[in-house]
Amino acid sequence: MENADVFLGLQDFLERMRQPSAADFVKSIKSFIVSFSNHAPDPERDSASVQAFFANMEAAFRAHPLWAGCSEEELDSAGEGLEKYVMTKLFTRVFASLPDDVKQDEQLSEKMSLVQQFVRPENLDIKPTFQNETSWLLAQKELQKINMYKAPRDKLVCILNCCKVINNLLLNASIASNENPPGADEFLPVLIYVTIKANPPQLYSNLLYIQRYRRQSRLVAEAAYFFTNMLSAESFISNIDAKALSMEETEFEKNMEFAQALLSGLSTDLDGLSSQIDQIDGHDPREPTNESRHQTRKEDHTIQPKSSERKLSSKEDKSINKIPSISELENRGATMLLKEDQTSKVFQEYPHMFAHAGDLTINDVEDLLNNYKQLVFKYVCLLKGSGGGSATFPLSGSQVQAQQHVESVKESEDNRVIEQKVGLQNDTDRVDDGPHRISNQENIESNFPKGVAVAPSEDNHDDTFEK
Amino acid sequence: MGCSSSLPDRSSGQLSGLNNTENSGVPDAKNLRVKLVLLGDSGVGKSCIVLRFVRGKFDPTSKVTIGASFLSQTIALQDSTTVKFEIWDTAGQERYAALAPLYYRGAGVAVIVYDITSPESFTKAQYWVKELQKHGSPDIVMALVGNKADLHENREVPVQDGIDYAEKNGMFFIETSAKTADNINQLFEEIAKRLPRPS
Repeated sequence: MENADVFLGLQDFLERMRQPSAADFVKSIKSFIVSFSNHAPDPERDSASVQAFFANMEAAFRAHPLWAGCSEEELDSAGEGLEKYVMTKLFTRVFASLPDDVKQDEQLSEKMSLVQQFVRPENLDIKPTFQNETSWLLAQKELQKINMYKAPRDKLVCILNCCKVINNLLLNASIASNENPPGADEFLPVLIYVTIKANPPQLYSNLLYIQRYRRQSRLVAEAAYFFTNMLSAESFISNIDAKALSMEETEFEKNMEFAQALLSGLSTDLDGLSSQIDQIDGHDPREPTNESRHQTRKEDHTIQPKSSERKLSSKEDKSINKIPSISELENRGATMLLKEDQTSKVFQEYPHMFAHAGDLTINDVEDLLNNYKQLVFKYVCLLKGSGGGSATFPLSGSQVQAQQHVESVKESEDNRVIEQKVGLQNDTDRVDDGPHRISNQENIESNFPKGVAVAPSEDNHDDTFEK
Repeated sequence: MGCSSSLPDRSSGQLSGLNNTENSGVPDAKNLRVKLVLLGDSGVGKSCIVLRFVRGKFDPTSKVTIGASFLSQTIALQDSTTVKFEIWDTAGQERYAALAPLYYRGAGVAVIVYDITSPESFTKAQYWVKELQKHGSPDIVMALVGNKADLHENREVPVQDGIDYAEKNGMFFIETSAKTADNINQLFEEIAKRLPRPS
C-alpha cells in the first residue's frame, strides 16, 4: 500500500467486542464514556484519564483469552480500534469544546488567510531549486482532509501524508538539480508555506486534540518528529510578523491591510460568482454589473489610499475582474464553506461524503457509481465552461439536484431513517453549539450517537457492539 | 556538494511512525534508545552528517520512509550493548531559532554543528550551547562538531578554538567531513559511550 491510510481495523475490533467473553470490556468502555459526561470539561484531566484508560485496557487485552496467541500487530490494532471507538464517542465533548479554543482557531485561520495572500517562498528561506508551488498543492490537499476524520490517528495520518508528499518533492528536486539531499533546513520552510496556503480547518484545535488523545506510546519516533514540525509550523505562523518574513515593518503592514481589503471584498461579494458567470455568458464587462458596483464600494472602504497603495489595489481589481479558473473558484468556494454556519447542511444530500470504506455495503455501489458519473460530467462541464464555453453551470446544477432527488427516493429505508435522524440532530446542534462549530462529520456519520447524548442513547451503543 | 548520497530505500513501505511495535519492549541496560537533536546554522551540513552515518550501514529493518530530516540508526558497542539513535534535524535559519525548544525537549543528546570555513557558524554554535545550558535537560550529552574538515585550505576556525570552547563547556569535540566520511562513525560511537546507563 502506498499510503498509510485511515485505520480500517475498527470493524475487527467491534467484532471482537461482540464476543460474549468481551462483555466486561464492553461494560468498562461504556461506563468510561458515560463517566466522562458527568463532569465539566477539563482538558488536562480529561487527557490524562483517557490515556490511563487506554493503557489499562491495552494491558487487559494482552492478558485476555480473546487475544491469546495474537501477534503484537493484532494487539496494536486492538489498541487502535479502542482509541478510534472511544474518541469518536467523546469527540464533540473534547474537540474544540472550549470558547478559548474556538477563538484561537479563528485567529489562526484569519492570520493564514491574510498572510497567504502575499507570502512568497523566499520570505521563508525556500531556495529556488525547491520552489514548486503546483506540486505543493498535493501536500495542501492532504492537510485539508484533517477534519474529515475524528480519530486522533486518522487526523495524524493527514499530517504525516502531507509531510511525506513534501519530502518526496524535495527529494526529487534535489536529485534533479544535483543538490544535497534535503534536511530540516529545506523541509520546515516548505511545511510552513504549505500550511499557510492550505489554511487547514481548526488547526489549533486539531493539534491540541492529537497531542492529548493520540495514545502517547504511539506518538513516538518518526510520527513524533513530523508532528513536532507541524506544531512548530503552527507556532511560527501564529507569531508571524515583519521580521519573521524578512520584510520591512511598513511593507508587512501594508500587505496585511491589502489582504484584509481583498478578503472582505470577496466575502461580502457572495453574488460575485453569479456576476462572473454573467461575464462568461458574454456580458460586456464594461456594463455596470453588480460586480463593478461592489468594487466601487470596496474602494470607498479604503481610507485615502496613498499613491503607491492605489497602484497595487488597481492591480488587485484586475485580478478580480478576470474570469476565474476552476481552481480559483474551488478555493473561493472552500473559503466560503468554512465560514458557513451550517456546513453540514450543504453535504447532507451526499450520503457517503463522510463514510469510511468499511461502512459501505454492496447496495451502495450503484449509488456511488451514479454519483461519480454525475460528478465527472459536472466537472467536465465546468471545465469547458470556464474555458469560455457556454455557461451551463446553473442549469447543470439544477439538473443534478433533480436527479439527486430521484435517487434519494430509491435509497434504502435504513438510509432514509438515518437521514431523518440526522436532520433532527442538526436542529439540536444549532441550539447547543456556537455558530462556528463545523461538525458536519458527526451529523452524517450517524452510526455513532453524539458524545453528549451518550446516556440517553445507550440502546444505540448496544447495537454497535452486540448486533 | 558536501555529501553526495543515495538515500535509504524509500519504497520500502508504510509510514513507520504509526505502529511502533518495536517500542513496546521496555528499554533495558543493554539496548538503549536515545533522541538526538541536531542544531547549527543552515548549510553547515547537519543532514549530510546523518546521512553519512546512516548510509554507511543502512539497517534494512528500519522503516524510515518519510524523509531525511528524521532518521534512526542502531549501533553496537564493544561491550555488546546497542544504542538506537533517533535523530531529529532542525532548521538552522535564523527565523526558525525560536522553535528549537520544541525539538530539543526530551532529547538525550544534542549535536551542535558548525562549518570550519565559517566563523559565523561557530558563533551560532556557541549560541546553541548557551541556549541548551539554560533550557535543555540538565543531563543532556552535548557534542560540538566542526564539519567540512576536508576544506582545510579554506579553514577560518582554528581547531584549537573548537577544542578550547568544548573543554570549557564540558563537551565532546570532533572535526568531521561528511564528504569523505572522516570521523563520522567516531562521532556517534563516542556519543554512545558517554550516554548515562540506566542502573
